[in-house]
Amino acid sequence: MGPLYPQDLLNPEYNLLIGALIGVGFGFLLEASGFTNTRKLAGVFYGYDATVIKVFFTAALTALIGLFIMHNMGIIDITLTFYPKTFWIPTLIGGAIMGLGFVIGGFCPGTSLSAAATGKVDAMAFIGGVMLGIFGFIFTYESLWKSLRISGKMGKVDIAQWIGIKEGVFIFLFTIIAILSFVVFQKWQDSWKRKMDDSDIDDLGI
Amino acid sequence: MKRREVFIMGVLLIGSIISIFLPDVKPLKHIIGPKQLLYEINKQGRYITTDEVAKMIMEKDPVLLLIDVRSPEEYKKYTLDGAMNIPADKIMEGDNKDYFNSDVYNVVLFSNGSSLADQTWLRLRSYDYKGGKVLKGGLNEWYRTILNPQKPADDILTAKLEKQYLFRKGAQIYFTGATPVAGKVSKKSKPVVSKPIVKHKKKEVTGGCG
Repeated sequence: MGPLYPQDLLNPEYNLLIGALIGVGFGFLLEASGFTNTRKLAGVFYGYDATVIKVFFTAALTALIGLFIMHNMGIIDITLTFYPKTFWIPTLIGGAIMGLGFVIGGFCPGTSLSAAATGKVDAMAFIGGVMLGIFGFIFTYESLWKSLRISGKMGKVDIAQWIGIKEGVFIFLFTIIAILSFVVFQKWQDSWKRKMDDSDIDDLGI
Repeated sequence: MKRREVFIMGVLLIGSIISIFLPDVKPLKHIIGPKQLLYEINKQGRYITTDEVAKMIMEKDPVLLLIDVRSPEEYKKYTLDGAMNIPADKIMEGDNKDYFNSDVYNVVLFSNGSSLADQTWLRLRSYDYKGGKVLKGGLNEWYRTILNPQKPADDILTAKLEKQYLFRKGAQIYFTGATPVAGKVSKKSKPVVSKPIVKHKKKEVTGGCG
């Protein structure tokens, strides 16, 4: 049955429209979850707020388990969905830069757009920085980044196949790791909150 | 930890435990899009000639699976050696379509002309089954080229055409001789027939009554 677009069961216009509607819903839920608050987002790095880790892990696991079960029920063909090839060196470096940007600026690209939509000036400045980075990368790609960009090529990697275990077992192990991280981060958050007084918590908006 | 969070973790844990018992991901059968289907139709790679099929039958190719997609009545009157009958309108029923999932067989579909076999191939491909090959010109072409080959005129006779003609004459003796040939991969016994009931056409058949 699904996915619809790669099988020509959905025309490009409707595909864009559905993408736009899902984007609106995603932005709304980011705002509703408090993800437009930089102090809440950065809290995951300092340990006083575990919301980011809980939401991101839950989203990843819901997609992972949901898609895997739906594939086996014949509802959606995972092999027709898009996922990019792995280049581990630039991914590692890019991930570190992204993490630094996240902890310093207090946003990731998606949350900065949601926060800018709510009128936050720091989010608008963050988007300016993102644009600067994008255009800076584009104009210096050939001379500075090309060799780094294609280094560490691994092709399309399925982690379960790569380490040689059954995909369902990998999903189970990943879920256990996620649940353990929920518990650890929650304990870390609770220990922080015990040290804070009410004014600190109000100030951080958590 | 809030009760809601514990509930979510519980649901995820149950989902992940179910996942352990599910098989690894393999591509599903899905409907082939019109662009892909049009590309495959135009590619013409689905056709196999009567000469190639005759050679495979004579060599008793063990992986050849001839499927006659005409009606059972027509099948009983005449079919190719070792062919099994799956009428075109029953091709997707029950276990029939399993023949088109197999990597073992070289499936060849045929009808009186090419049309019915072509339609069957298209139906199978649109549901992402391997359609196999279609016998170009069907049984009409089989009769014209294998059972009743005509010697090319001397003014157009080349070494290649002569070789082809000699092969066809040999095939004619093989298929119309007294010794019947049992196909290796037939699922049904070959109907006993003495003579094909196909119309003799002087010109090359481009379609057929299929």
